[in-house]
Amino acid sequence: MSNASTPPPAPPHGPGSPQDVPPEPGSFPLDPATLPDAIREEIEAPDPVAIDTASEELKDGLNHCPKCGSTDIRHKPGSDLLICLYCRNEWHGQRIEEAFGLGEGIDQLRGTVISSGARDIAADAASLMTFKCGGCGAEVTVNTQNAMTARCHWCRHVFGVNEQIENGAVPDAVLPFHIRKDDAVARIRQFVDKRRLFALKEFKEEFTPENVVGVYLPYMVIDANAAADIAGHGEIETRRYTRGSGNNKKTYYDADVYRVERHVDFTVDDLTLESSAERGNLDTRVNTNNIINTILPFDTKNAVKWNASYLVGFSSEKRDRNVDHLRPRLEDQLLSIARAQVESSVRRYDRGVRWEQERLDVHGTRWVSMYLPVWLYSYHQPGRNGGMLHYIAVNGRTGETMGSVPVQQWKLLTAALTVGTVLEGIALWILGNSA
Amino acid sequence: MSDDGGLWLLALGPAGAAGLYWALYRHYRNTDKSHAFERETRIEAKPVTGSERDRKVDEIKGTRQSRIRGDNLRAYRTRVQRIRSDSS
Repeated sequence: MSNASTPPPAPPHGPGSPQDVPPEPGSFPLDPATLPDAIREEIEAPDPVAIDTASEELKDGLNHCPKCGSTDIRHKPGSDLLICLYCRNEWHGQRIEEAFGLGEGIDQLRGTVISSGARDIAADAASLMTFKCGGCGAEVTVNTQNAMTARCHWCRHVFGVNEQIENGAVPDAVLPFHIRKDDAVARIRQFVDKRRLFALKEFKEEFTPENVVGVYLPYMVIDANAAADIAGHGEIETRRYTRGSGNNKKTYYDADVYRVERHVDFTVDDLTLESSAERGNLDTRVNTNNIINTILPFDTKNAVKWNASYLVGFSSEKRDRNVDHLRPRLEDQLLSIARAQVESSVRRYDRGVRWEQERLDVHGTRWVSMYLPVWLYSYHQPGRNGGMLHYIAVNGRTGETMGSVPVQQWKLLTAALTVGTVLEGIALWILGNSA
Repeated sequence: MSDDGGLWLLALGPAGAAGLYWALYRHYRNTDKSHAFERETRIEAKPVTGSERDRKVDEIKGTRQSRIRGDNLRAYRTRVQRIRSDSS
């Protein structure tokens, strides 16, 4: 009732933005214990578990046999196959990290090193490629916009685009899917079950996680060697006192102001950026690409040299951004990293620090293009300007799950106003009693 | 005087409603999420230098602000004036 005169909460186009430093996983801005039971239960339900790629088992760089899990793996002489010495299982794949010596000598990087698959896209390169089938002589076309393999419809021979072409479709490396489809479906279901109470009715009715699609999305994986200088002012509290009495008590502070400058040299290993203009656009007002961004990072250390056979049965998206397009975003992220690194060195400024200037010297960068595996479930919510495409994405390696579930505005508003009215009632009761 | 101390209670309803709205909206739509590359990337940093050059430039007396104006210590992604050097 008393809420009727207050304006409704701000319009529904999204608090926060990917430009904010994201909150810790699993955190919720309000204390769930204060919320009504139904809402609290939803929020406190467990999230789909993600494998921590920073975990020790991957840090040691071991590649496990996909069949028995043994790490006793050798290169089979005279072929490109790997062989498991325990179960004699053979399969393809050489880790690009070892093949090209990536991950080493990042602190020695100078200039811009671009791997062959990350070279600039030729303007006239077509995305349609035609092969002559070696089996029957028929012509088979592969549209590299969304696929890297095709089957000859006459003799069932399977083709893969393996040589690097100038249209950017062939990356240096690929990280094969580890999470199976039924696993991805289960994670998406678990994720949505946590968000049903206020979800859009149509979304719930049409929810079929079995329609999830495995997609290889294009990324640039970057090693960088950089230095940053940051300058600003910091304040240290010297005295705190109160003036006035009773309800008029006010707290005052005295402080010393310092000029603060910091310098840090750092290297970054495998920073991952979307190399597709569309996917790189993280504007939450018009798309939900920030969802796909959130499921980074991948264990890119385990990526294997490009082989189109990994893409059989999956679709793919083609890269359309070159190194120069991505450089501003890289520098932005390097500066953010530098700012995070110097934070601990200014702890003594207990009233905080206002950074005013920053400078970045990028000594060297190394760019590798990769296809990384993502399970994508999408729901199109009709609306103004073509509506909104909501994604739920599962990292094809770690299983990290993130998604955007459309909300039923009237339900959410009703719940918020109801809680607000109850609170206001309590407030009025307290005021009435104390008067 | 006691009016002054109690009037803020009236804001409880609207603040609670708005807070719950935003919190649930974020929980469903996750618009505030992105890849936390600052802490999820392998970064090797040499020790930060420059603290020995910190110098006192001013004193503030009797301010009512509990934090420095424009505090952006934790807003890593908020860019400030970029100094560009030609010799990099």
